[in-house]
Amino acid sequence: MIRFTLLLILSLLSANVGRAYPSSSVTHDTLKAATFLSGTRDTTEKAKTALHYIFLFKGENQWLNKKNYFEKSLVFVNALIAAIIISITTMIILLVVILLNRKRMEKEEKLHQYLLEKYQSLIINFLFGNASPEEFRSIASDTYRRQVLIDQMVDVSLNLKGDERKKIQSLYKLLSLDKDSIARAYKHRWHKKIKGFRELAFMNIKDANVAIYKALNSTNEILRMEAQIALVRLCDDNPFEFLSHLTSHFSIWEQITLHDLIIQHNIPLPSFQRWLTSPNPTVVTFALRMIREFEQKESEDNIREILIHPDPSVRYLAVQVAGDLDMRSTLETMKHMYKNQEYKICLEIIKSMGKMPDISMMGFLKLVIDKEDDVQLQIEATKAIKNNGEKGVKALVKLMTSEYKNYNIIIKHVLDRRIF
Amino acid sequence: MGFIFANIFFIITLILSASYLILGIFSAMALRRYLRKNSYVKYDSLVLSPLSPKISIIAAAFNESKTIIDNVRTLLSLYYNNFEVILVNDGSTDNTLEEIKEHYELTKVNYYFDYHIPCERIRGVYKSKNPSYNRLIVIDKKNGGKADSLNAGINICQNSLFVSIDADSIIETDSILKLVKPFLEEKERKVIGAGGVIRIVNSCDVERGRIREIHLPGQILPRLQVLEYTRAFLLGRMAWSRLDGLMLISGAMGIFDRETVIKGGGYSIKTVGEDMELVLRMRRRMAEEGVKYEVTYIPDPLCWTQVPSDIKSLQTQRTRWTRGLVESLWTHRKIFFNKTYDRLGLLGYPFWFFFEWLAPLIAFLGFIYSIYLVVTNSINWPFYLLLFLFVYTFAVSVSIWAILFEEITYHKYKKKRDVLKLLSAALLEPFFYPMHTYFAVRGNLEVLRGKKGWGKAVRKGFAKKKKPIHRPLAV
Repeated sequence: MIRFTLLLILSLLSANVGRAYPSSSVTHDTLKAATFLSGTRDTTEKAKTALHYIFLFKGENQWLNKKNYFEKSLVFVNALIAAIIISITTMIILLVVILLNRKRMEKEEKLHQYLLEKYQSLIINFLFGNASPEEFRSIASDTYRRQVLIDQMVDVSLNLKGDERKKIQSLYKLLSLDKDSIARAYKHRWHKKIKGFRELAFMNIKDANVAIYKALNSTNEILRMEAQIALVRLCDDNPFEFLSHLTSHFSIWEQITLHDLIIQHNIPLPSFQRWLTSPNPTVVTFALRMIREFEQKESEDNIREILIHPDPSVRYLAVQVAGDLDMRSTLETMKHMYKNQEYKICLEIIKSMGKMPDISMMGFLKLVIDKEDDVQLQIEATKAIKNNGEKGVKALVKLMTSEYKNYNIIIKHVLDRRIF
Repeated sequence: MGFIFANIFFIITLILSASYLILGIFSAMALRRYLRKNSYVKYDSLVLSPLSPKISIIAAAFNESKTIIDNVRTLLSLYYNNFEVILVNDGSTDNTLEEIKEHYELTKVNYYFDYHIPCERIRGVYKSKNPSYNRLIVIDKKNGGKADSLNAGINICQNSLFVSIDADSIIETDSILKLVKPFLEEKERKVIGAGGVIRIVNSCDVERGRIREIHLPGQILPRLQVLEYTRAFLLGRMAWSRLDGLMLISGAMGIFDRETVIKGGGYSIKTVGEDMELVLRMRRRMAEEGVKYEVTYIPDPLCWTQVPSDIKSLQTQRTRWTRGLVESLWTHRKIFFNKTYDRLGLLGYPFWFFFEWLAPLIAFLGFIYSIYLVVTNSINWPFYLLLFLFVYTFAVSVSIWAILFEEITYHKYKKKRDVLKLLSAALLEPFFYPMHTYFAVRGNLEVLRGKKGWGKAVRKGFAKKKKPIHRPLAV
């Protein structure tokens, strides 16, 4: 609002200061233009001349130096009038757009609701009753109606399995809706492509796989992600093959979406350890996460190897996964790598040691409590000792009586069951 | 000389108008892309995913005994799987702590932590005996203000991301999902903070910390602020985010990378504009360290806040905002036209300096000069009116543009009547500019006088429908 105020004031100041100009009467040229504008000689040519006088600002044009009754250059005045007209026109257009948009939305919502109800009952009738494809055709008469039908069929197919799913897929083809989806997949605009990919993936139509493969290397991250998801659904032999060719950053969001897809649609799982050697660190982190989520413990040797991966995000996750999957063969490596790691990884190492309690690590953990100043490291090391059962608790009790350092506050924190 | 002055003023006017148009265009582009992209997003997968990050929600409470139970309940029922709520009792003098202790069955725990960021002494940390409330941590500390309380919360939380929440906001249930997404999409640039749209709750029906029905405020001042917020959030910040010049994540709700905040020294207790100051400091630090980073903004409505409905409260709020702005700009004056800070230094900061801070001061001088001209009868009335019409129509059309953005994006005001009311507010709004100029000048004077603190704003409470247990959320 303040900026508008400045706008107002600055403009008004322009007007006020303008008073300093020598006031001049309306000139001959001005009168001429005014005459043209007033429409006394309303021929096209004259109108053109008038516009020329007003809007064509050439150095030799006398208008630039003449003043009108506003006591300003007429060019200036005309520019302002033009700006005002543009603003008012914009206001009116926007107003009309707002009101029409409302009306359109209301109308569309009603139609959408009607079509949804109609299609739902028809689809149920088709699947479990005796509705014929012709009945669909009669309603899905235009692009909008066809699109609603496609959306509805995709939604329904999500909850179907076996024969019913196949039946709805065949109906999709029978109504030639697959052609709409394929055409969309080849469209130039990314959001249309995505829609096409989705529909094809849900309806298990592989005719546009070429376009989907092409999108795998797109610079548009959303398009790329949707292509990955579509391919996982559409490739029966090796749905995760794209991971081997992925050179771009595979964000956590993409990883979450893919993981969700695997869970929701029971996608057959490969052994993810094959991607632990990928040159793309984000693919390695995805593989690590999947190894953890699907408990692929046979990857222990590979995980031990990548504990010394050059990328810190991979090392961090490898340490975490090793702890989560109780891969005890990694403990020694972790202990040795501890001193050369950044804080975040050090903390994760101690946490992982806590997840796989081992008496042989207690000496190291005591050292961490003694030597480290960071509270979080001390707490996690204490927790890790405590997790060694009776021996761990005994060690903590002994530490409480130590004169070297006041461990009481840390140990009390760790032993408080409400804190985790 | 007069000719030069006249043209300079007009040129500045044109720059201002052009800046609006450019911001509007950038905003439209960013909004269109976001909405298209978002139409394919399935937030549910984030709720259920074991891969989603753990978040800490930090809220400060001071003398909130009447509302604290509902507020905490609202926070605990947010739609996200992996989070904890850290409530900081900032030395309340009423029975806020007792109320919450009793209701949520809290007991003091032996919590060991570091004062990573300096804050007032923490007297105790409480956890519930009831496992249903195991997400809740309550900190009791000596009074030190909002920034200090948030710093205490940051010291206690252990997650890499935290959400700071304002004292008087109603949080949308899915807001955490939307806020956390930019961090998960992080690529080459480290995301250090994200904010979203704050909406106005005045006149809405609120029940147990949730909005039941959305209405346009009945009173003129809040209604004008709806327009102002819509313009600022949907036109301004969206564009600045796209231009990588965002300088402010609203204190009402924002998410931050904890490590970056701690390295930056946490919230400043020396300013009343701690939200803006924090973003500036984080950005400055990242740029100086040569780390590629971004501060993002999402156009989704995340939370609803109550705005002042009387002139006195509005004045308190706006003068405080001005003080916060001046303090933040002064503290980080090094950024001004400094290419080390890239677009922040060359675009964002100068824009705020000239158009947010300097503008009202020039406008104020203009008002005085106009009065002088009227008194001395040396005003050019025809031209004066022409210019007024120019600015008025331009300002109104920008506001209507913002209303259109609201209509085609989130469409929160369903009634046609509400939109018409909003349009009429757009026609009225320019007549309130002098009042805002006055508030801004007053804020600047307060800075010169060395005034500190938040001042007192009177809040009217939320609209109620039928029999109420309707309480404002004011954690």
